[in-house]
Amino acid sequence: MATITPALETHDHSHADGHGHHEQTFIQKYVFSTDHKVIGIQFLITTVLMLMVGGALALAVRWQLAFPWESMPVIGKVFGLFHGEGGQISPEFYTMLFTMHASVMIFLVIIPILAGAFGNFLIPLQIGADDMAFPVLNMLSYWFMWPAMFCFAVSFVASGPTAGPGNGWTSYPVLSDLATASPSSGAAQTWWLFGLTLVGVSSMMGSVNYMTTIINMRAPGMTLFRMPLTIWSMFITAILQSFALPVLTAAGFMLVFDRLSQLLPTTIHSVFFVPAGIIVNNAAPTVGGGQPLLWQHLFWFYSHPAVYIMLLPAMGMVSDMLACMSRKPVFGYKPMVYSMAAIAGLGFIVWGHHMFTSGMNPALGMTFMTSTMMIALPSAIKVFNWIGTIWDGNIQFNAVFLNCAAFVALFIVGGLSGIFMAAVPVDIYFHDTYFIVAHFHYVLFGATLFGVFAGIQFWFPKMFGRLMNDKVAKVHFVLTFIGMNGTFFPMHLLGIAGMPRRYADPYLHGYLEHLLPMNQFMTISAIIMGFAQFLLLGNFFLSIFYGKKAGRNPWNANGLEWSAPSPPGHGNFDVPPVCYRGPYEYSSPEAEALGQDFILQTTAPPAGVKRTAVHH
Amino acid sequence: METSIKITLKNQVLLGLLALSVSGCSDGDSSFAYSQRTQSLIKEAQNGSEGGPGVKQTLDTRFGNPQQLKAWMKLPVEWGGSAASVESFAASDTEARIKFVAQEGVTLPAVASSVQFVTGEGAGQSIALTAWDEKTGEAVLAGVPDKTPVSGDLCVIDGGSTLKSGRVLYMRHCSHCHGAAGDGNGPTAQYMIPKPRDYRHGVFKFTSTNDQSKVSRNDLLRVLKYGIPGTYMPSFLLMKEDELHAIVEYVRFLSMRGEYERRLVNELASDYSETAVSDRLASEKASDIVEELQSFLKDEFPATAETLGDDLAEIWTSADTEDAKILPTVARVEDSAESRQRGRELYLSKTLNCADCHGIDGAGNGPQTVAFEKNPVTNELYPEAGLHDVWDNPNQPRNLQRGIFRGGRRPIDLFCRIHAGIKGSRMPSFKNTPHEDIWHIVNYLLSLQFESDPGTIAAKSVAPSETGE
Amino acid sequence: MKKFWALFFWFWPLVAILVCAVAPSRGWWFPSAPLSTLGHQIDGLFYLILIIVTVTFVGTQAALGYALWKGATKGSTQKAWFSHGSHKLEIIWTIVPAFILVFISLTQLDVLAEIRVISKFPDSVRNAPVAEVMARQFEWRIRYPKPGQQLMNVPQPGDLYFVNEVHVPAAIPTMINLRTQDVQHAFFVPRLRVKQDAVPGLIIPVWFEIEKAGEYELLCAELCGWGHYKMKARIIADSPKGVSEYLTRLEQEQNEDGVAEVDASKEQ
Repeated sequence: MATITPALETHDHSHADGHGHHEQTFIQKYVFSTDHKVIGIQFLITTVLMLMVGGALALAVRWQLAFPWESMPVIGKVFGLFHGEGGQISPEFYTMLFTMHASVMIFLVIIPILAGAFGNFLIPLQIGADDMAFPVLNMLSYWFMWPAMFCFAVSFVASGPTAGPGNGWTSYPVLSDLATASPSSGAAQTWWLFGLTLVGVSSMMGSVNYMTTIINMRAPGMTLFRMPLTIWSMFITAILQSFALPVLTAAGFMLVFDRLSQLLPTTIHSVFFVPAGIIVNNAAPTVGGGQPLLWQHLFWFYSHPAVYIMLLPAMGMVSDMLACMSRKPVFGYKPMVYSMAAIAGLGFIVWGHHMFTSGMNPALGMTFMTSTMMIALPSAIKVFNWIGTIWDGNIQFNAVFLNCAAFVALFIVGGLSGIFMAAVPVDIYFHDTYFIVAHFHYVLFGATLFGVFAGIQFWFPKMFGRLMNDKVAKVHFVLTFIGMNGTFFPMHLLGIAGMPRRYADPYLHGYLEHLLPMNQFMTISAIIMGFAQFLLLGNFFLSIFYGKKAGRNPWNANGLEWSAPSPPGHGNFDVPPVCYRGPYEYSSPEAEALGQDFILQTTAPPAGVKRTAVHH
Repeated sequence: METSIKITLKNQVLLGLLALSVSGCSDGDSSFAYSQRTQSLIKEAQNGSEGGPGVKQTLDTRFGNPQQLKAWMKLPVEWGGSAASVESFAASDTEARIKFVAQEGVTLPAVASSVQFVTGEGAGQSIALTAWDEKTGEAVLAGVPDKTPVSGDLCVIDGGSTLKSGRVLYMRHCSHCHGAAGDGNGPTAQYMIPKPRDYRHGVFKFTSTNDQSKVSRNDLLRVLKYGIPGTYMPSFLLMKEDELHAIVEYVRFLSMRGEYERRLVNELASDYSETAVSDRLASEKASDIVEELQSFLKDEFPATAETLGDDLAEIWTSADTEDAKILPTVARVEDSAESRQRGRELYLSKTLNCADCHGIDGAGNGPQTVAFEKNPVTNELYPEAGLHDVWDNPNQPRNLQRGIFRGGRRPIDLFCRIHAGIKGSRMPSFKNTPHEDIWHIVNYLLSLQFESDPGTIAAKSVAPSETGE
Repeated sequence: MKKFWALFFWFWPLVAILVCAVAPSRGWWFPSAPLSTLGHQIDGLFYLILIIVTVTFVGTQAALGYALWKGATKGSTQKAWFSHGSHKLEIIWTIVPAFILVFISLTQLDVLAEIRVISKFPDSVRNAPVAEVMARQFEWRIRYPKPGQQLMNVPQPGDLYFVNEVHVPAAIPTMINLRTQDVQHAFFVPRLRVKQDAVPGLIIPVWFEIEKAGEYELLCAELCGWGHYKMKARIIADSPKGVSEYLTRLEQEQNEDGVAEVDASKEQ
């Protein structure tokens, strides 16, 4: 691509028109703030705390699997929910544990931490804008998380203290549709659906904002192919989100309509997902002719792209960080962009691979298998390019880099195990076993969360003007990495051994009995991993106040955000940025000419020096 | 196996009571909750006084708690364990070795962890074993006993093993619905229709025993194995026989405990429940009532408690005898349109009046389902229309057209349902109806799923393939 | 310390491979060799993918570790390799994996068709289900046709019922009709590598050929409520003669009128 000479006339950001000059109250500044950085940090802190909640739920699940029916710590005794049973949990409580673990982790941690926290914080800074296109909408996107969290919280107790939502995060009807179908299918399920819808509203507000901001508000010279991959990934994610989410919202409302007669004292309700004549728990037989598979199609039409919503931003961020920490340009910038676009595009036509055993038409199964196989391709290309990026670099072995390298290493596992699932006949065996659980934890924890850990440490100085402690971060990395692999790698083997998911007591089945010691090992690993997160929390919160002071550019990185003060003031840039080159010109001859191995995107080329065209 | 238990029992009866500590159990400190009725008594009646134990203590000394079960030997529960006698005993300062010889017809267990002495000086003491050889019967005791056993002393090796394993299995498979105490009120129970059985009445619905008898072991076993279709009671068909057997014994144990509690409370409720006492206070002094109660607890109650136990033992023992079993005197009448027609006539007849509850077409919608019923205990109307069972739960008559028969679909099952009624429910016993007539009704009931009008079915069953896919 | 990290990233894939290598001997592998004809094909495809995946895993992790090692041993004064990528490499690592993925896809199609496409079912079973397996919360209710008759979708007089145990003939293809009475369940027989969801409102035929007579675990693999894990059942494969004897026995039991029972107990 030809180098575009940036417009050199100073662009007036005209702060005076909008904001910046009047005094703000504390509430305007830190609570109902319209500043994208504050909103990003609000998202970050909220989601990190939710990560602990989701983790606690996961540990409860692991406890039951390792020590089935033994008195559960805290829940059994402190809350006294199962007093008469001597602290032994009930099976519907177990279904609640894994359902809410997934719901919290997906809807309150991974999606908002990527798009909400990093998207908000980084998009204006990396494209050189003073804020988001719609700051109020942006603020609302954060504050809509609270009613969502409120709904999820209510759902824990709405059907009784031991019967929170327990139909899986996928909430397949008929189970989730008829209030009588399970203890968790009553009011809890309705509140859960409301929570889900509100998270969707929040995401949608964010997506609209991100797309508009990225399209319209780039700094002069910031052409599309000079955007950092983080921005590309956020852009593509926003597109995915805004196209897929309406389908889920519609499906959610359809399910709520189906449940109306249970919700309100009315007999008016729909039957989208319930066939006629179903009797559960001796309730009256259902009428009408709905189709349970319709929900699965609609749900996965959103939720498969959502898997990429939960991954792409981390991919973009890791590309940025790997380049910086290897002091090298990203290997194959454009293939990276195209492969993300390919993932997003293919992501819309692979949802059926969640339904290979569902009784869907086998011809559809074949189509979905081929498209699913093909989606492995862009992922593979990205992996090769990441390795290429590190290759022969001047690697900085700090916690940021290690977490990024772990991202690549673990994403490889998650990607490769996906191939088994794409192959229908093999998937028929693996469907709903622990192999699946292993696969998506390698992608969502192994890849995304390690990317997030790296991202927190990388952009922390920009957020708070101080650095996080690298030694503590390394200890956190090692413990998390070991704990993570100790917990999730054996799940592949459990899956091969045929252990189904969502079983409160798999050992009832003779052929699974011998897997108990392995599950105990996994639980111990999970406990180590869980407690290691306190290191992250401690490092994070203490570093806000006591961390080493950082200048504008502690990592010697190239992006526009590093030319702003740390932390950036209201309106972000003291000097309106102009972009002269791509974000990854580490160790370039141009940089060398300045006697350094990086060159900020804003550094103007010295007058008279003929710039070589940059080949991407 | 059978005989070994019988011999064991014979010997153990001598003991009266055997403490069974349940070690290695998972559920920390589950408890046997006392019933609402126990808690409706005044505190003094619940807790007793120095003079005599109240309801709670009486119950606990005989049944223990989940961690420390007690075997009240007079009850017909197969506690488990092998009867043996001491052949030789040798002790040094630190170690005691003992050699057992099994009672006739008893085999020594492969693993053993404790021994309880039944006769001799050490009768009643229970000692853990640290080593055990099933072939020779030699064991090493965990300590040197205070009272030296002598050759010929009777003992039980691993007494209560069946009950204990029953408890472990019960806590894993059953308690989340039926509750740790068998009160049908585990954490999952509240979400179910119908509610899980509350064993404490000692009443089970689907039995092969006549209307006045308790449930037999075999009936419980059938329910465990085949489940109760149309309810959340699933089938545990694949459980091992000895596991099923252990659960049955533990369920019977819990039932007897609950029923015993009810009976104890019955002795006290009319005079010493909170409401009775508050009525009496109009004319009597509180201290007088308490004094009267204390002397009753001291002088009469202990003997009553024993008698109640004897009664309990007798009725539960008889449930497993041949006398209790319903035996049709005639074989099933051949199923035919005529028989079904006759069955329908009987079904609609004034004397049997099945339609009053089950409806004229067997759809479970008879007039009784819309009438308001009185609670026989409180004499108040139930809040919702329809019939109720002794557990005070709504209990609608079965829709016989669905082809789901909770107590089983064999002709004999339906015969028993009609003959003995469904215990605890409003389905009465028709034991005085001639057996042949019952068979006609059975034939009619079995056809209801396929035809509402007897006689049309025969044509259809000739060539079922015509209606195929 | 830098070298430590490079070794760290080399070390864990080795552990992973090692664990997988010892897994079969420790029982952390398939519950048994496949015992159905389709199972063999499925396992074959699994091992094919496993080989491809293992090679890729080892290759990429080794490359990653080597890249780290190179970085760790690089002198701090040495310059990083300034490169924006290589067109040639990109083309290679697009085409080669694409070829492999298409290859994997193609190998699956036939087996998938055999498992799922009704017109490809063996002729002997296509319209002849031996039993209806009706899943419900939380057990499997089985319905056989009266011996000598055909299974209908609607219950017929004389149908035989049982719970949690399905008797099917071994060594010949056999088909069951899978249904559910309430919510969604899934019919999962690990040793046969059979899995099929039971969807409310649908009747789904499932066929398999069990090679040897024996007992096979059957369990539920789709969340169906609190008692999901309780749906423990078994398939008993027997000779066709054994199955018909079983059905005769079942018919007798089901017509039990309590009178014969007395006689039998007297004889004992």
